[in-house]
Amino acid sequence: MDAALTLALDAANYILILILIGLGLAVIFGLMNVINMAHGEFVMLGAYTLLTVKMAGGGFWLGIIAAPLVVGVVGLVIEEIVLRRIYGRVIDAILATWGLSIGLQQAVVLIFGPGSHSVSAPIDATVSILGAPYPVFRLVIMAIAVIVIVATFWVFLRTRIGLAARGVIANRAMASCLGINTRKLDRLTFSLGAALAGLAGAVVAPLISIDPLMGIGFLVPAFLAIIVGGLGSLSSLIVGGSLVGGTDTVAANLLSPVWAQVIVFAMAILVIRLFPRGVMGGRELGR
Amino acid sequence: MIGRLPALKGADMLAAAAWIALAFLPLGLNDWLRGDLATYFTYGIFAMSLAFVWGHCGLLCLGQGVFFGLGAYAMSVTTLGMLPGAPALISSWLGLVFAVVLPAVAAQLLGRFFFGGRGLHGAFFGIVTLALAFIAERAAINWDYLGGLNGLMNIPPINLGVNGGGFEIWDTTALYYLHLAVAFAVFAVLTWLLRSPYGTALAAIRDDEERTRSFGYDAAQYKTTAFSIGAAVAGLSGALFVAQFGFASPPLIGFKLSAEVLIWVALGGRGMLFAAFTGAILVRTLEGYLSETFGQYWLLALGLLFVLAVIVFPRGLIGEFLHRAGGWIDRQRRQTVRAGG
Repeated sequence: MDAALTLALDAANYILILILIGLGLAVIFGLMNVINMAHGEFVMLGAYTLLTVKMAGGGFWLGIIAAPLVVGVVGLVIEEIVLRRIYGRVIDAILATWGLSIGLQQAVVLIFGPGSHSVSAPIDATVSILGAPYPVFRLVIMAIAVIVIVATFWVFLRTRIGLAARGVIANRAMASCLGINTRKLDRLTFSLGAALAGLAGAVVAPLISIDPLMGIGFLVPAFLAIIVGGLGSLSSLIVGGSLVGGTDTVAANLLSPVWAQVIVFAMAILVIRLFPRGVMGGRELGR
Repeated sequence: MIGRLPALKGADMLAAAAWIALAFLPLGLNDWLRGDLATYFTYGIFAMSLAFVWGHCGLLCLGQGVFFGLGAYAMSVTTLGMLPGAPALISSWLGLVFAVVLPAVAAQLLGRFFFGGRGLHGAFFGIVTLALAFIAERAAINWDYLGGLNGLMNIPPINLGVNGGGFEIWDTTALYYLHLAVAFAVFAVLTWLLRSPYGTALAAIRDDEERTRSFGYDAAQYKTTAFSIGAAVAGLSGALFVAQFGFASPPLIGFKLSAEVLIWVALGGRGMLFAAFTGAILVRTLEGYLSETFGQYWLLALGLLFVLAVIVFPRGLIGEFLHRAGGWIDRQRRQTVRAGG
């Protein structure tokens, strides 16, 4: 029973991180029709920002605050220099962001070296949940993720800016005619999506080894979560993230991490064949 | 759109001249360079497989390396005598057959899922193939039968005997001409295919799938077959590569090689098979000289150059050159004809 509970908590942990990363991907795709292949590198940059802050003598929590800010600015610069030139060219946008991801990886290799780094968690304590000991830090991660996810949903569904963004997703030309500054909104959204990924990278940093190639390990499951859930609404991301993250954690525990990835991929392919719009329906993928 | 260009006669002439030049090139090269170029030709064949699938059929495959790796491992397992239940079988010929058939069958099965029903479109096909490459590499690393992280070593060169025992192709001049001949054969067959009615249907599906389907073409079937042909060619290049290199390891089947081939094809030119072929050779040759001088900066520069090519030169650098130079030749010839007539 203890093992099952720990497993469930671990799964919840992973699911929340996936949703945090997928949120940026989904909103950027919804708004700008850009599939951001450099999103994994934003996660990686978040982790390295935390690492830099800690190496410079700063505290862990300062790093957690710095990561989304730094990565958000990186996102802003990338949007300005590269992305805005290729809006409307879906395939070229994939290629360009993919090239960027290689560039960002190499930049990090040049600065920090190709090896892996680790940072220690700021909280070592464990707490007993229904008799099973569980690290407090993982609970803190979950709390941060939940707060940020809820805040993002709130911005998207309850504020004027969120309304404008949903308007642009529904019909860009019409929204623009009604006086919405789509240019400003694109910039803001891309930067915000990058910042979310950066935050995700910083909070998971103590749980993993930080290396320049870590991005793809987050990008692939986040994409699969979007494919499985579909692009209907933000809540389909929660379903997709839960299916992918849950399956992955459970299968990794029962079999092995490799089998878990194979199973998740097989699941995604089956979903594509059986539910081309994702299990939650909505917009057709890739149209 | 770059793919809609009509076949340029001038560009064809330039490509033909380059093929002939390649046939005479070994005369001026030392042993070492001939060996390097023979390896780059296998990369060039690999690049043509992606140019076929991506440039001509519109299927942006971010995991083409999976098929290269499948071919490489199939060849290695066979020629090392590791086939389950048949340890005496070490035929290079059988290895080549497996290296072509296995990736083709894998692509056929995957294609059924990807393109069947409503199917995956454009960008999402790319993502799923990227995931495939990521997982294939992880699987190869963790599969002890394939040597795990270390891979398979001491893979014998191609042996012309029915089941080993015959003439071994390891001399660099022989390898150079073997790989060049295979590259030219692949180029010729794919070009013929693309200029046949079948290729026209593929181009039509790439440009407007909905409309082509309404003319009665089974788009899913066409795309699956094209994907399989590309996979078979990639597998063949992988087999030739390991037979020369002698070593098959997980990076051959993963996303890193898939990323590299995409860069070669984008820089060379996705719209022309020959541009993709030379793109691979030129990038690898430059890499040989520059990566020692510039180290990690070389990859950084390559990544950024790739971004630039995508934004500014969608035809690719070599493709753009062939297009312009070919166009110039065509104009000159037209003027000559006019002046003469």
